[in-house]
Amino acid sequence: MPQQTTPCPECGTLNWKENASCRLCNAALKPAKVKSKPRLRKKILRRTDFIAASRANQTATRRLVFLLLLIAAALGYLGGWALQTGMGHIPAKAESIIFFSSWGVLAAFILLGLSLLWISFAFKRGDRIVMKLTGAQLANRDTEVQLYNVVEEMALAAGLAAPRVYIIETDAMNAFATGMSPANASVAVTRGLLNKLNREELQAVIGHEMGHVVNWDIRYATAVSVLVGLIVLLSDGVLRGSLYGGGIGRSRATHKGDGGAGAILMIAMLVLAILAPIIARMVQMAVSRQREFLADATSVRLTRNTHAMISALEKLSQETVLFDRANRATQHLFIVNPLQNFSERASALMATHPPVTRRIQRLYNLGNKQY
Amino acid sequence: METGSWIVIGIIAALIVWMVGIFNNLVSLRNQVKNAWRQIDVQLKRRHDLIPNLVEVVKDYMSYEKETLEKVIQARNGAVNAQGPEQAIAAEGILTGALGKLFALMENYPDLKANENVSRLMEELSGTENKIAFARQFYNDSVMGMNNAVESFPSNIIANMFAFKHATYFEVPEGETATPTANLR
Repeated sequence: MPQQTTPCPECGTLNWKENASCRLCNAALKPAKVKSKPRLRKKILRRTDFIAASRANQTATRRLVFLLLLIAAALGYLGGWALQTGMGHIPAKAESIIFFSSWGVLAAFILLGLSLLWISFAFKRGDRIVMKLTGAQLANRDTEVQLYNVVEEMALAAGLAAPRVYIIETDAMNAFATGMSPANASVAVTRGLLNKLNREELQAVIGHEMGHVVNWDIRYATAVSVLVGLIVLLSDGVLRGSLYGGGIGRSRATHKGDGGAGAILMIAMLVLAILAPIIARMVQMAVSRQREFLADATSVRLTRNTHAMISALEKLSQETVLFDRANRATQHLFIVNPLQNFSERASALMATHPPVTRRIQRLYNLGNKQY
Repeated sequence: METGSWIVIGIIAALIVWMVGIFNNLVSLRNQVKNAWRQIDVQLKRRHDLIPNLVEVVKDYMSYEKETLEKVIQARNGAVNAQGPEQAIAAEGILTGALGKLFALMENYPDLKANENVSRLMEELSGTENKIAFARQFYNDSVMGMNNAVESFPSNIIANMFAFKHATYFEVPEGETATPTANLR
């Protein structure tokens, strides 16, 4: 595959040529089309202190869980109803195929129970699942002394327990934090980041990630990864599968009595089509400019070192090696968007990081204040 | 009862709820200050444990710097035996100064910096130095939060009623303002 890169006009980061927007600052690489900003996100994150941020994140997580349960119940009912209709078990009293389906209620409860199990599992092991998805390995305490020290320093500065430390073996520069609460968090950095940043810059990046931990950004981001992201991956698989399997399925369905399965498939596709924009909004909310600004500022509050954060951001923006181990379930977690091949749709989904120049400018403003 | 007395009861109930909220906030601030102090203590202990190891390893290379090494050991023992926070803060200040001198001298010994044991210990020690600084920073931030709550209206009323006191800052001792930096890269 030809992999040509082109620098971003705003911040100079190298991007894949087919990308529509910059992976660091989200500036348009090609002539921009006007995008309307989502109002909901603005409302939730209007205030930018960490108490408001953590409250907004917990509200968003609760909303996400509620929405998922609602969807599961609706999906279950639809599935049960389709099965009942397709197999010809329509009650005698029913006047049309629109009737109160007892199978539907049963299926709704089953699916509700299953998703409750899934959600509780995700809340318990969310960070581990994310680490599996990104291929991160628990860092060796004996060989990664400096990394552990830096993480512990930042945890002390934030007044939190030290998070677990993971390393991703790749030359690309990236980092992220995950976990369901500040007391039970994990941070991961790539080998490239460790090699190319000096101690102070590494400290700034870890401080940025601790900022996400303190602000509870990790809770929502991890929930999105494990709950929503996996749906995205699954539906990607289903859609791809139905492209290949569709022909056979149709010819078989004409035979006899397979209407139920056909209806379920149809409904599943319909539901996925309806869900896609909602999911897009959810993922988009998991990363926002306000969160990044706030995490930058938190990092400076922890390290009391503005210049390290600035030079770390500059190095990240000049990085040429791109990270390819991320997928649509985990992309929003990273400090720099790692997805190389993302289409127009995915980039609209990833209205993420503010331009690095503006981030740096804000940091300079912070630097003028004396602590 | 009349509506007027209901309103009075309602206002009193709201006041009590509000006071309980302020009280609980003060308690959590005080606990945060205590916990922050404990974190500093942990790091200071760690530093005391590391120093003898470092001196042991370094001794062979730096035989001409016996005086400095002895000073470090003396300062370390002084810090270990310090009683109470005030003495501890003073003793730690002396120790930091002695360590800074040792680190600076070590720059002159390339062999020493190449030694894997030494560079590990140095990273450990400079990590601990940083941790002390960051723990102190968090402690002072917590103290500021506590003092703000104790002094500002209206929480100062509750603080006075239940004898919440000012917390004392961990001031940087004289001579420690220039933190020793060990450049390992």
